[in-house]
Amino acid sequence: MSQFNRRAFIKAALAAAPASAFLAVPKAHAGKKASIVVVGGGFGGATAAKYLKLMDPGLNVTLVERQKTYTSCPLSNEVISGHGKIEDLQRGYDGLVKRGINVIFDDATGIDAARKTVSLKGGRTLQYDALVLSPGIDFNYAAIAGYSEELANSSHPHAWKAGPQTLALKQKLHAMKDGETFVISVPPGPFRCPPGPYERASQVASYFKHHGMMKSKVLIADANDSFSKKGLFEQAWKRHYPGMIEWTAGAAGGKVVKFDAKSNTASSDFNDFKGAVVNIIPPHHAGAIAKNAGLTNEKGWCPVDMLTMESSKAKDIWIVGDACVHGELPVYAAPKSAHSAATQAKVAAGAIIAKLNGLPNPEPFFVNTCYSIAEVDWGFSVVHIYRVKDGKLVYIQEAGGISPVNIADEAQLKLQRKLSRNTPPAG
Amino acid sequence: MHVKPSLALLALALTASPLCHAGDISGLARACDSCHGLNGVSVGPNMPSIGGLPEPYLKNLLQQWKSGERYAATMDRHVKGYSDDELAALATHYAKLPWVPVVQKADATVLAKGREATDRCETCHGVTGGEPDETDTPKLNGQWAQYMEMELLKYRTEAVKMPHKKMRNNAKKLDEADVAHAAQYYAAQPK
Repeated sequence: MSQFNRRAFIKAALAAAPASAFLAVPKAHAGKKASIVVVGGGFGGATAAKYLKLMDPGLNVTLVERQKTYTSCPLSNEVISGHGKIEDLQRGYDGLVKRGINVIFDDATGIDAARKTVSLKGGRTLQYDALVLSPGIDFNYAAIAGYSEELANSSHPHAWKAGPQTLALKQKLHAMKDGETFVISVPPGPFRCPPGPYERASQVASYFKHHGMMKSKVLIADANDSFSKKGLFEQAWKRHYPGMIEWTAGAAGGKVVKFDAKSNTASSDFNDFKGAVVNIIPPHHAGAIAKNAGLTNEKGWCPVDMLTMESSKAKDIWIVGDACVHGELPVYAAPKSAHSAATQAKVAAGAIIAKLNGLPNPEPFFVNTCYSIAEVDWGFSVVHIYRVKDGKLVYIQEAGGISPVNIADEAQLKLQRKLSRNTPPAG
Repeated sequence: MHVKPSLALLALALTASPLCHAGDISGLARACDSCHGLNGVSVGPNMPSIGGLPEPYLKNLLQQWKSGERYAATMDRHVKGYSDDELAALATHYAKLPWVPVVQKADATVLAKGREATDRCETCHGVTGGEPDETDTPKLNGQWAQYMEMELLKYRTEAVKMPHKKMRNNAKKLDEADVAHAAQYYAAQPK
């Protein structure tokens, strides 16, 4: 059905029977409140819980989250360099509790899609009418021989989930001496935060520069042959950190497959990358709970209906955030960002309420904006907008894209980069 | 079966109805809220609050970005994803919401300097920024200081396109140090 026809249809259906549409259908609502369980309290899950309750205060919404304090991954690279403070990126869940959401601090261990239950480590079992799964990512440590979860939690943090490892990596950077090397290993895409590794390289170089460590270097060993906002990053590196950041593409032997913790060396099949600090970002996939529930594809990510975010593998489970595959084209699929997660969550909330009430799915709107901070007062962005055309999700090319790279006028260039310097997400 | 609608169900109907009303813009507005905050009340210092700003001002702004008359970090890209009708409906939606000032404290010296520096702004924006003289003039009281500072920087940078000659001239007349003072002064005003 075309968008116009669909709209006309909804309008006509509602004009004909506005009340009955609400009163006759929702079985879950007729006797008792519908119960929605949200697993994962990151950008995706917290946003879903908030908007479900906002859009339908009658819903019984329960959020299950492991940790009492959430640390935002966006802007956490600036914590590593010392330009930002981790406290500024941390939030509790009182705001959601005040909105009437039941927040349970526990570990969701399993999903029974047939019985519509979620089991918790603490022993409880939660029954749902609809489940929102926002489990984020888990790591495939085995892909890098010699690297492990134990190393990540002790001497060699990946810091690809913000929190204690962010501070551990900061500490390692801040103990470095001039002339020493910092290695970052980038996993094959898709990964959480596509420009993140290159922003991290920039922030590490910024630390060197602001501490007079001009002989130190950052080596990026990349499994991929290109990267997000490449032109913008390379321009920033040339300008702010000439000769300090070296990037090795996958095709040039950048794909790290093993790591030796004793000699601090990450190796591809062709090259060794040795450094005083080696930051391995392991390949990752959807959070384990999604995998265990059979909600992932062969690559480890969760396929969903593009317009509703409902799982393609199980009914009444909506999957949002980094765990899902949203968009078919490799270039134009929604990036695994906090902003993507938040808009997906809002779409899922609308889709759930519509389904519970037997209404057609509302038109979904998906947006992503992502800022990268390469140096103090030097940031840039990428915008993605997705719309539904002829029943399909389409990337709107003319509305998207990166900040302009080449700007002849120096004042204009500086202004452009300064405007995107530091932009915390709001929810 | 005829069910007498309970209060809760009525509330549900009221809140759920925007979901499926064809001309309704709330679904799109929810996407805008990711940066501009719930109901357009921003919680991030770089992002402006937009709920309760005058409709003609918001309409102008969105169209100026679309036509390239107004410089922006990202909004000039965003607006190209939506039709003129959708943008107009968004302006109407946000204009109807209450203006909720986010009052930011500043020390007395800064406030005094800001008060003095904003002398020339008074005619259009009012003494506190809360009572603009025209409907195409934004409220500034309790707007985010960092955002206003950046906005003033745009007006002061000759190399980028910005509308409103008067605003440009006055922004350029500010002493460099007073840009931040002016922004902090308005940010501190509750009304």
